[in-house]
Amino acid sequence: MQVLKEIYAYREMIFSLVKRDLRGRYKGSALGFAWTFISPLLQLGVYTLVFSVIMRNGIKDYYLFLFVALIPWLFFSSSLGGGAGCIRQQADMTKKIYFPREVIPLSYVTSQFVNMLLSLVVVFAVLLVSGKGLSINALIYLPIIMIIEYVLALGMTLLISSITVYLRDVEYFMSIIVMAWQFLTPVMYGIDMVPEKLLPFFKLNPMSSVIVAYRDILYYKQAPQLSTLLTAIIFAIVVLVVGFKVFERLKKHFAEEL
Amino acid sequence: MSDSGYAIEVNNVYKSFKVYLDKGNTLKERSIFSRRRKYQNREVLKNISFKVKKGETVGLIGHNGCGKSTTLKLLTRIMYPDRGDIIVDGRVSSLIELGAGFHPDMSGRENIYINASIFGLTKKEIDERLDDIIAFSELEEFIDNPVRTYSSGMYMRLAFAVAINVNADILLIDEILSVGDENFQVKCFEKMRELKAAGVTIVLVTHDAGTVKTFCDRAIWINDGEIKADDKAIKIVDTYLAYMNEVRMEYINEQKAKSQKPYDENDEDITMDPNSLHFGNRKAVILSCNIINKEGEGVSAISSDDPFILKYHYKINDPSLEEIIIGMGIFNIDGLWIYGTNTQLANIHIDVKGKKEGQVIFECEPLRLLTNKYILQCSIIEIDSTPCDYYNEYSQFNVVNSSKESGFITYQTNWKVVE
Repeated sequence: MQVLKEIYAYREMIFSLVKRDLRGRYKGSALGFAWTFISPLLQLGVYTLVFSVIMRNGIKDYYLFLFVALIPWLFFSSSLGGGAGCIRQQADMTKKIYFPREVIPLSYVTSQFVNMLLSLVVVFAVLLVSGKGLSINALIYLPIIMIIEYVLALGMTLLISSITVYLRDVEYFMSIIVMAWQFLTPVMYGIDMVPEKLLPFFKLNPMSSVIVAYRDILYYKQAPQLSTLLTAIIFAIVVLVVGFKVFERLKKHFAEEL
Repeated sequence: MSDSGYAIEVNNVYKSFKVYLDKGNTLKERSIFSRRRKYQNREVLKNISFKVKKGETVGLIGHNGCGKSTTLKLLTRIMYPDRGDIIVDGRVSSLIELGAGFHPDMSGRENIYINASIFGLTKKEIDERLDDIIAFSELEEFIDNPVRTYSSGMYMRLAFAVAINVNADILLIDEILSVGDENFQVKCFEKMRELKAAGVTIVLVTHDAGTVKTFCDRAIWINDGEIKADDKAIKIVDTYLAYMNEVRMEYINEQKAKSQKPYDENDEDITMDPNSLHFGNRKAVILSCNIINKEGEGVSAISSDDPFILKYHYKINDPSLEEIIIGMGIFNIDGLWIYGTNTQLANIHIDVKGKKEGQVIFECEPLRLLTNKYILQCSIIEIDSTPCDYYNEYSQFNVVNSSKESGFITYQTNWKVVE
């Protein structure tokens, strides 16, 4: 509890770091902040080319089907991929000044989250322009699933970033994990395409429920199933608690290990 | 929080570091070669306990690697002790790392917000202090330029301005007052005095005994991870300096012992290189040259109010030598020659024909210098000025006084207000 109070006291630091990250990220590049939108759009283009033009899959409006899941996935994967090294990157600060260490992963994930919010604006625009439209009844569930995903990403980042301080391999290993994770999560295909036998394994993947819920809300324009939401919530809370506890244990020796 | 009246309580703290001879951070190195990874467990702090009262100014002194910086890091909670506990009561600002989190592409103003937020300030608190911070940094014209366009001096000024305006209850400072130009340093000290007067608890780590003496109420001397002494700053600094001189003298004596071999004209040790510890033809050598205080004790620190003597003990190696000149000099630590004389200038003839060894006493009036470390030069030369045994730095000694004057010397002066 003490920690939470302290993190709250340092809220301005979180805002500052998020702001610094968002503003500083594309400094010096010609297109600047536009990269926030260009990068996912280009990825969307590549996946659509491969999976709907070359390997025709018969899913209606595949680019929309993919897009509504890809943006949430990119938030999660960048939290994991980049988040692993987030404390190492701030080694100078960590070694020389005191602040609640949780602030670093917290602001990293938050900055990725803000990125997703901005990208979602593009998603909405595409949905509207394509004539697919949005359903208000479904949209009210969107904030809920976003918070769940945020909690999940935060828990994972707390866990991974603190271990990476001691074991740098984790950071390199994560890029492979993230790639495998993406293919084993129904991002590029629907959960209904998964063979019956493998379904239990997919249920163990916390991101499955999250992505399914996003697609329900944005693509199928329907409220996600209660069971999907509940699974996601339980996973998210468990991961956050584990991540927090591990971080708590490991953070005491950050300054010495860095 | 407790109402103990203490800002900092350190109880039986131990801290050790694993010093890896080959540090490995990858899985392979961690697991496969775990037995092969050699490390030494270096105990940096061994049972340290002290308390700092609210509003007190304490200096931590000690030689390099004694554990004083580690102590400060434990106080800031960057690190945690292995055993023992530390209780800190109040908001802490540390001037250990200045400019943490500065982003070169963002303006000075934006960086103030980032940097201050790292000290735990809320936006409202930063807004309130913004003007003070900018004024203190003297960067009004440049405050909206990106920090990368700043000179290193400007950068430090901005960083210091933020750190010192946090309004902390406890200020921890580590060797940072060497930054910035002289004007800014003076300003920093003024600000620190102001904070001190306002009742801020200050813990300062420095090599500079002078700062501790003039600025701190109390000093804690840490030696090899243990508290060697804890008392009024003036007292501790003097004993500390005397001790450090002794350590140095021991080293010099060792070096001397190595070079004091029996005289031989063809000895390789005869050097005329003025950069060596001592040089000369060694026809006559200095066995010792001690500073003796008025109580008759050999010392390495003297008071600027007391007379003292230099006692030379020499040995004649070459029986053909007829007369020698004995000289002395005093330099300050920057090498400025403060005083020098010799027996020839004083019309004293030292006849050494047929002698094996002898002693000379040089009586000195009180050395009216300010508190500092000084260097004693001493020499024996032949009548034609050929050096026999010449030490550019025979020993170091301290002059101690309670004067608040500035410059090099202290002397009797009086102010009178004319009606």
